[in-house]
Amino acid sequence: MSARDNILARIRSARGAAAASAQSDLAAIDGRINQHPVGTRPAMHWDQVPRFREQCVRMSSTVDEVASMRDVPAAVARFLTEQGLPMRAVAWPKIAHLDWTGTGVTVEDRPARGDDLVGITGVHLALAETGTVMLLSGVDTPAATSLLPETHIAVVPAGRIVLAMEEAWARTREELGELPRAVNFVSGPSRTADIEGQLQIGAHGPFRVHVIVALS
Amino acid sequence: MSDQKLRVGLFVTCLVDLMRPRIGFSAIKLLESAGCEVIVPSAQTCCGQPAYNSGDRASAQAVARKVIDEFRDCDYLVSPSGSCAGMIRAHYAELLAEFPQQRAEVERLAARTHELTSFLVDVAGMTTVPGRFDGEVTYHDCCSGLRELGVKTQPRDLLGRVAGLKVSEMGTPEYCCGFGGTFSVKYGEISARIADRKCDDIASTGAAAVVLGDLGCMLNIEGRLKRRGDTKTRVYHVAEVLAGLDED
Amino acid sequence: MNAPVPGFKARAHDKLNDAKIQRAMKNFNLAAARTRGVADLENLEDIRTAAASIRDHSLARLDLWLERFEQEATRRGTQVHWAETHDDINRIVIEIARRTAVKKIIKSKSMVSEESHLNAALEAEGFQVVETDLGEYIVQLAGETPSHIIAPAIHKNRDDVADLFVKHHGTPRKTDIGELTMEARKFLREHFLSGEMGISGGNFLIAETGSLFLVTNEGNGRMTTTLPRIHVAITGVEKVVPTLEDVSCIMRLLARSATGQSISNYVTLNTGPKRPGDTDGPEEMHVIIVDAGRTKLLGTDMQEALRCIRCGACMNHCPVYQNIGGHAYGWVYPGPIGSVLTPNYIGLENALDLPNAATLCNQCGVVCPVKIPLPELMRKLREKQVDRGLRPWQERLGLTLWAWAAQRPVIYGWLTGITARAGRFFGGADRTIRRLPGNGWTEGRDMPAPAGKTFRELYAKRKQP
Repeated sequence: MSARDNILARIRSARGAAAASAQSDLAAIDGRINQHPVGTRPAMHWDQVPRFREQCVRMSSTVDEVASMRDVPAAVARFLTEQGLPMRAVAWPKIAHLDWTGTGVTVEDRPARGDDLVGITGVHLALAETGTVMLLSGVDTPAATSLLPETHIAVVPAGRIVLAMEEAWARTREELGELPRAVNFVSGPSRTADIEGQLQIGAHGPFRVHVIVALS
Repeated sequence: MSDQKLRVGLFVTCLVDLMRPRIGFSAIKLLESAGCEVIVPSAQTCCGQPAYNSGDRASAQAVARKVIDEFRDCDYLVSPSGSCAGMIRAHYAELLAEFPQQRAEVERLAARTHELTSFLVDVAGMTTVPGRFDGEVTYHDCCSGLRELGVKTQPRDLLGRVAGLKVSEMGTPEYCCGFGGTFSVKYGEISARIADRKCDDIASTGAAAVVLGDLGCMLNIEGRLKRRGDTKTRVYHVAEVLAGLDED
Repeated sequence: MNAPVPGFKARAHDKLNDAKIQRAMKNFNLAAARTRGVADLENLEDIRTAAASIRDHSLARLDLWLERFEQEATRRGTQVHWAETHDDINRIVIEIARRTAVKKIIKSKSMVSEESHLNAALEAEGFQVVETDLGEYIVQLAGETPSHIIAPAIHKNRDDVADLFVKHHGTPRKTDIGELTMEARKFLREHFLSGEMGISGGNFLIAETGSLFLVTNEGNGRMTTTLPRIHVAITGVEKVVPTLEDVSCIMRLLARSATGQSISNYVTLNTGPKRPGDTDGPEEMHVIIVDAGRTKLLGTDMQEALRCIRCGACMNHCPVYQNIGGHAYGWVYPGPIGSVLTPNYIGLENALDLPNAATLCNQCGVVCPVKIPLPELMRKLREKQVDRGLRPWQERLGLTLWAWAAQRPVIYGWLTGITARAGRFFGGADRTIRRLPGNGWTEGRDMPAPAGKTFRELYAKRKQP
């Protein structure tokens, strides 16, 4: 008998189940997965965009708002200048192929490497409740771009802001069916309080997160 | 509304009986002042908690069944102790699960059992208290009373009605004092250190006294204050303060 | 290999008298963080009930949920392994490491791997292992074990960390915490980029999608599960959660209970290895599902302990933990959950002190996000100790005599009358007893003297005309 067999047998015997699972048990499993009930949550009666912005700030991100995606390159240029950062970034293809002419920012369409300082991504969705961006891995959405650089800029179309994680799952099931290899919820710059309990912004992930909300 | 007085059985507790009888008499005075008829079953000894918390189920059961017998005829069982009232109200059902024939009785007793201040406020609706106290006190929330019985606002409500008295809250009144029954004896060093934090908190209020509702906490805090050389801060049971400290 | 953990009292004594540990514990206040963190949940108690219920759903059909997880994970390319014992865990990881010819292994926190001493086993086989959670990294450099499940190095101060970095990095000494953190980032970045296998724990396993659910604030979880070519996740059987919505509900309480945040910085779901066309991700993903004593709790009065989501709130609020710190507990999990799990996992007789070294104040139970009745479980463990004859005979005798006397009011009255008078006498003029031989009360405090007569005798006298 394998370890797997032994472990499952012990569990079944503990709950008084026969070796072959009862129809009712399997129906219960399928039922819960198909219905995926939403657990009790706080009332959350907010306007989503203002709430999202406020929570991003609370999680130590900076936030900017522009009228549309066309205005994103200028907003990025503004941010990099204000922060004294190099005018150079790697970006997801969708972002790299916006019109960057005249902004002074050099944007490369490739995944981030260890020495890239600024990474610009879009998002799959964003969560108003907690100021969180939701990123999916994929051919055109490399995970390293939001992870390795010191500065991560996330471009969030306002229409992709949903209330909370549960809404994000419902939307993702609708749009994609299955999950990609990695789903990353990112809420601000990395941090740690492991030394004397003192909060330090900037651990292993980016230590600066800038969110640009594109209203249309 | 009937004029009939509430028949309250006073469960005085083993520690009050042994160490501070005055608290028992204060409790009687308060209950009578609230319009109750007070009965003190004379054969009472202990609620069984020391044995229960030590894992000696059989001993605890024997003692608990005696309590049920003794308080059968009372409308209520009231105790100047969140710990003993909590034992009866929150734990007797589990303790006596092996005696299903007594289940109804146990549940009835549990439902009628109250810590003193919560009884005075929530059941007897007491609004005037006999005692007076000139000065500032701070209140320590005993863990069982707080977390098992929800005793929090009631003692403060009553203390607020004591002429001359002002309550100053300490930083963390709900923080355990470190008594924990046999814990205080078995792990005395850790227990005293926890008590020390409580004493620091009490001292930081500048209050003349700390008031509380359980003898275990009382002896523990008083004992630690004395060992720290604090001869000024008094330690009182809430019943004593409410009834008046000249009671004897 | 489970070693017994006697010596609790001696360890506690050392920690209580260690000025540095005491300073560290006084500064440690994640309890206040939780209080701030839950202030925005107007229905906190309802959410706790929901989270507890979700955990109970898993445990009620644990085999089926695990099988569903395995089915979904396997379908997405994850290799699922089952480990019955701690040795199995180490064996499986070593086999994978050998087969994939890795040399450097980076780790993001796994408490289960602490149970099996995985790092030592890997190092004995010649693999290099680097912890990447900053607290775990510090503890690893110091050759110690974590003292808290969320903040492993709270027992170390900045000077300790500075010394460790000088010794192991060969860099000039820094004492600013920000600078130390940046130095760790720089050094660990090298490891992240060169690690060939990443070992992680797993906060949860999601049955619906066959995903590993991982939560960090530092980003090392993402690094460890994205950059190396092999990813191995290790977690306990009890960690399976049915659906994505279920884990979202629990997540609200996990972050608030642990650190007071509404969400942890990085919440990651890993479902299988790299896909065709993916530019990141491991070539192989493995999940090791561990029993090691957990299934023994199912169907027993200890089952509720398996709800635990490893938030650390119980220990953060525990007056005992706050004063003695985590190492005194002697095994992987400290605080109230440690006092319950340790005897269950390594043997009741090997951890006699832990369930007894508690005041049963229930500060832990009140804050536990999944409503584990921790003091009740500790009390039950005390009962089991009595049933198995593991208590000292003096204690058994004392309790038996107490109960005997308590059932005999006349004898009881006589004994208490004597005690009250003797106590009053020994208390002297200042009504204080300074030494009570044979018990720990007077180690750290005095005993106020009894009034001198018992209530029962005084009341009886008053009732007589």
